[in-house]
Amino acid sequence: MTDLTFASVSDLVRMIKTKEVSPVEVVRAHLERITALDGSLKTFITLTEDAALAAAREAEAAVAAGRPLGALHGVPLGLKDLYDTAGVRTTGGSKILAERVPSVDATVVRRLREAGMIVLGKLNMVEFAYGPEGLNAHYGHARNPWDARVHRMTGGSSSGSGASVAAGLVPVALGSDTGGSIRIPCSLCGLAGIKPTYGRVSRAGVLPLSWSMDHVGPMTRSVADSALVLGAMAGYDAADPTSSVLPVPDYLAALTGDVRGLRVGLLRSFFLESAAPEVRAAVEAAARTLEKAGAVVDEVALPSIRQVAAGALAVVATEALTYHATWLRTRRADYDPEVSTRLMLGAFVTGVHYVRGQQARALIRQEVDHALARHDVLLAPATPIPAPGVDERQTTLGDGPSDVRSALIRLTRPFNFSGHPACSVPCGFTAGGLPIGMQFVGRPFDEATVLCAGDAYQRTTDWHTRRPVLA
Amino acid sequence: MSQPIDLDTLRRSARLAGFDWSDADLEAIRPMVAASLRLLAGLESLPLTDVEPATQYRML
Repeated sequence: MTDLTFASVSDLVRMIKTKEVSPVEVVRAHLERITALDGSLKTFITLTEDAALAAAREAEAAVAAGRPLGALHGVPLGLKDLYDTAGVRTTGGSKILAERVPSVDATVVRRLREAGMIVLGKLNMVEFAYGPEGLNAHYGHARNPWDARVHRMTGGSSSGSGASVAAGLVPVALGSDTGGSIRIPCSLCGLAGIKPTYGRVSRAGVLPLSWSMDHVGPMTRSVADSALVLGAMAGYDAADPTSSVLPVPDYLAALTGDVRGLRVGLLRSFFLESAAPEVRAAVEAAARTLEKAGAVVDEVALPSIRQVAAGALAVVATEALTYHATWLRTRRADYDPEVSTRLMLGAFVTGVHYVRGQQARALIRQEVDHALARHDVLLAPATPIPAPGVDERQTTLGDGPSDVRSALIRLTRPFNFSGHPACSVPCGFTAGGLPIGMQFVGRPFDEATVLCAGDAYQRTTDWHTRRPVLA
Repeated sequence: MSQPIDLDTLRRSARLAGFDWSDADLEAIRPMVAASLRLLAGLESLPLTDVEPATQYRML
């Protein structure tokens, strides 16, 4: 019998529809694995076991009665704990919102429930999503499943999302991505995940970090699964003022497996150059794999890329401080000191800095657009390093020393700044057995091509089929 | 080039932003503020004179 906890989303959908398994069996299998493993992995903040089993029984009855089923009927889902859930606390990974219980679901949660997904609970994350390491002082540091000997970072801020999917606790988790918070944990935990184009997926009902940089999206074990879930999430939402009215294509239909003639721009300067040797070699090997499949790969550069860090700092620090100003005045002691310090820095960013940052953003967006005028997708490492230990603070990149935090966010943040869609895909393992991730970046609202490239790569490789060894 | 930032400047900036943080708090973050301001100063190296800011950030 198929191991339900590592079955693909499409297999789960098929098996449930054909009554090969019931939604109750699927949910129970995942809950049992959570019970067995989450004491050490610390991926869940709130487990909604009873509600999940009740929903599974309803889903089972729907199948038995022959009622119309949603595209994701009976498939378990984990939610980063910044998605509002009606009647279930949504903490943002914080002490400040520890008892906050929303009255309605976030738009994408509602859409996924309507598609038949069953929420198992709320996942651990960096406090208020402000940090890429995946650490949380209030609820414990989630543990990367790929190293049983050393407590390694999951990456963040969607730390519980990354670790839970990698460990087979859920087949799908939602993350959010302001500087890389979907793609970083995907890279460090060996997953696929997509940060869609800004405006493609509604942010309504999702706690903000930086309104103009925040994106939401799925994290799964394969690109095909991400495509399936993204299709159920995406589309216009009047509740999000930045939501696009563009129609949502059929992402699964775009997964042709055919990359013949696909023009791939390999980002070497700043991106590959800064990567650790094993990461660089893995991404270069992936480029060769794509070439063998018929893609046309050449190198491309983004001239102003080194100023993204400054521009993004101006924007994120200002927007984050604005959201947190009241709590920072009245409840600063309730923040993790590292998070409150990051928030405090926003007080010293001036209005001129903020507008300069927005000018830099327009410039970077033009440069990415220019690169994508000659290429269908860009290819780069998702993170320049594999998962560090939780206590590591410094690392060495290809172009010099760096603090771990800056290193983790360095290669993903540019596409939050520009708003382009970007999909993280596993592309190898280090000699020590840690996953390596790369990212495909596409034109605005062309998630289909990004997903097609990632899926085609996964059809010729098996990195995404490997599983961590857990007790 | 950004100048070194002193405690008095930090105190005044914080108060302008509406925060009454102690001198000890401000002294603790002074190196990080200085590093941030050095980073932000790098934006002046970009050819931004004729670039309209992405303040209306909506792609479609």
